[in-house]
Amino acid sequence: MTAQTVIFYAFAAILVFAALRVITSRNPVHSALWLVLSFFSSAGVWMLLHAEFLAIALVLVYVGAVMVLFLFVVMMLDVNFDKMREGFRGYIPVGATVGLLILVEMALVLIGGYLPAGATPSPGQTGPGYSNTSALGRQIYTDYAFPFEIAAVILLVAIIAAIALTHRTRRETKYQNPNEQVKVSRADRLRIIDMPLEKKE
Amino acid sequence: MLQLYFPVLLFILVGIGLGLIMLALGSLVSPNRPDPEKLSPYECGFEAFEDARMKFDVRYYLIAILFILFDLEIAFLFPWAVVLPEIGIFGFWSMMIFLAILIVGFIYEWKKGALEWE
Amino acid sequence: MPSVATLAFDYVPALPEIVLLVSACAVLMIDLFVPEPRRHVSYWLTLLSVAATASAILYVFHNTPVRTFGNMFVADAFGDVLNFLTCLTVILMLVYSRGYLAARGLFRGETFVLAMFALLGMMVMISANHFLTLYLGLELMSLSLYALVALHRESGTAVEAAMKYFVLGALASGLLLYGMSMIYGATGTLEINRVTTIIFGGHANRTILIFGLVFVVSAIAFKLGAVPYHMWVPDVYQGAPTAITLFIGTAPEFAAFAFMTRMLVGSLAAVAFDWQGMLIVLSLLSMIVGNVIAISQSNVKRMLAYSAIANMGFMLMGFLAANVNGYSAAMFYVVTYVMSSLAGFGLVLLLSRAGFEAENLDDFKGLNQRSPWYAFLMLLAMFSLAGVPPTVGFYAKFAVIEAAVDVGLVWLAVVAVLASLIGAFYYVRIVKLMYFDDPVDKAPLAARSDMQVLLSLNGLSLLFFGIFPQQLMGMCVVALTRSY
Repeated sequence: MTAQTVIFYAFAAILVFAALRVITSRNPVHSALWLVLSFFSSAGVWMLLHAEFLAIALVLVYVGAVMVLFLFVVMMLDVNFDKMREGFRGYIPVGATVGLLILVEMALVLIGGYLPAGATPSPGQTGPGYSNTSALGRQIYTDYAFPFEIAAVILLVAIIAAIALTHRTRRETKYQNPNEQVKVSRADRLRIIDMPLEKKE
Repeated sequence: MLQLYFPVLLFILVGIGLGLIMLALGSLVSPNRPDPEKLSPYECGFEAFEDARMKFDVRYYLIAILFILFDLEIAFLFPWAVVLPEIGIFGFWSMMIFLAILIVGFIYEWKKGALEWE
Repeated sequence: MPSVATLAFDYVPALPEIVLLVSACAVLMIDLFVPEPRRHVSYWLTLLSVAATASAILYVFHNTPVRTFGNMFVADAFGDVLNFLTCLTVILMLVYSRGYLAARGLFRGETFVLAMFALLGMMVMISANHFLTLYLGLELMSLSLYALVALHRESGTAVEAAMKYFVLGALASGLLLYGMSMIYGATGTLEINRVTTIIFGGHANRTILIFGLVFVVSAIAFKLGAVPYHMWVPDVYQGAPTAITLFIGTAPEFAAFAFMTRMLVGSLAAVAFDWQGMLIVLSLLSMIVGNVIAISQSNVKRMLAYSAIANMGFMLMGFLAANVNGYSAAMFYVVTYVMSSLAGFGLVLLLSRAGFEAENLDDFKGLNQRSPWYAFLMLLAMFSLAGVPPTVGFYAKFAVIEAAVDVGLVWLAVVAVLASLIGAFYYVRIVKLMYFDDPVDKAPLAARSDMQVLLSLNGLSLLFFGIFPQQLMGMCVVALTRSY
């Protein structure tokens, strides 16, 4: 067993354990943190597959940004998770049976017919000058230009949908506008009234 | 090739190890004499009123999701910048169209006031 | 290394998509600067853009398939016909729903722009020649539709419907990706037409291929709403604002049909025997469950949702014949189903007004006394959905049953006939309520003249194509034979 295999199994074991904890931990914030660990371990696995760019993107985008969003959502929803979990155990027999059945069925199909090692040619060892990032770049912006632009449209739709669904134009707090405060002139504030003197009787 | 990442792995291992050592030292060396009062939650001398987690405004979510979208855009810029000399004028323009579509989104969110806090 | 050849893409076949994308971005920008009272400017611009897209499709119409963008995009007669019909459906949807949207604060730029992007997603799906573009088109369409359902934020049911739609849709996307990755593992390519070549060449790992096929068929069944993947359909149809229900129940059916054809006929025709068996189960269950449950519904939208499930079962019955007759019967069925469904939902929209949702069967009571013409149009729509001659629905059902009998599935055809007899009950019940009961609600029916004209044409076309179905059927056969 080479060192790489050892590292792979280490990352894979952590990944499976963390993923299990995501769905079993009682506190949703803990689940989110376990999810961070599972993203991180899958980034490790991808790194072993020489998919460096994807591994870094996974850490930056998912761990850095998506998880923050998850935590916001968990905080935003004032959900009583214990109450939601009530009756959860009632579903376990049915859920576990169905899940196990699917697992066994899939295993039975795949054990016999899965691609044996060496059925597809290995991509081969990469040289010291190989860069996964530039290999991806050469493909994405040329051969895959069409799906790349559709991805941009999907991001655009996500922007529109997020704003249309959550943005409110009503203002809740009273605040000062320094801009208007500075621009104020004497005429806005002071009114001089010319009053005729009243004579003493 | 992967050997180049060995320092990173070493860094992760040392980081985890150091953290574990410090936690272990703390629990081994420091005195630990708990009693029910010490273990009970404390909030300015009162019993705790509510859950420590409190509701966030939905606006945080909007900012976070807009951040993710533009974060993804930046992620697409990296490989493009690396191979720009190789992919030629076509690659240049395919990124420009990508950016143009997202700029439309940017103008939309700016004009809608989604970037303003209040 | 990219060669010069791959960089010289031919953009003309994608002209309709480009027109739609550019105009959708333009409408989004213009809408920002349109003051609220003049919102109809965005509305008319949207109609104009979709009409321009439809004309672009006619302009570039392809009699022989053309592939471009590195084989990821295919323009053929099949795609062009479906793209054109999808554009027409979106135009009708916009015209029918104007009053409804305006009364509920949904007459907004976002509604129009999201509808256009959903249309773009459907067109990308319909023209896909690569699993990646197929998936991205699906996501673009679904994402826009989820947002459209949730756009009515004040309505709790709409948000709930959007949530159910989103969660189950994401599950279906997961199944689809898993299936596609298995097919990729078995064949080593994602290009739809190359998958066929590799399977016929005998270079594919059959076990993995069939394993992937199961997941792909499940995802397709999810999108079509076939039993047992139908759970989202009634809830989403009922919860969404009726105008959006009209949209979800019509245009995406074309996209889902194209999706199924591209996947099962375009790339997996070599394993037709295997997916035939799966589709028989889906078709049988959909026809029975859809028609039986629809009887007990008192909500019109929910009833039409079960009717959609049942009708997709009939469509699958034609498709699973796995020959040109079957595919064209299925395509004809989808086209006529969308036409009937547009008319049916159009009338539900017509009966609704500000502060009032026409949702219950009772709202149709005595429609004949209120407006004989609209009652007649609803009668046509219901008869067409039920498959009563001389409406077009009869011919559609006849064609799919004939296709099933031709391949020896007589027992399935018998079940289909029985199911449609059961189904006739709930369609005829609406007709009975309209003609033989007294109205509960006597408010006058108001509609803009453009809606009146289009709705009448829509309804009459059900009768016209029912008497002269040859043209429409011929179009479906030609579209398919020129593409596959």
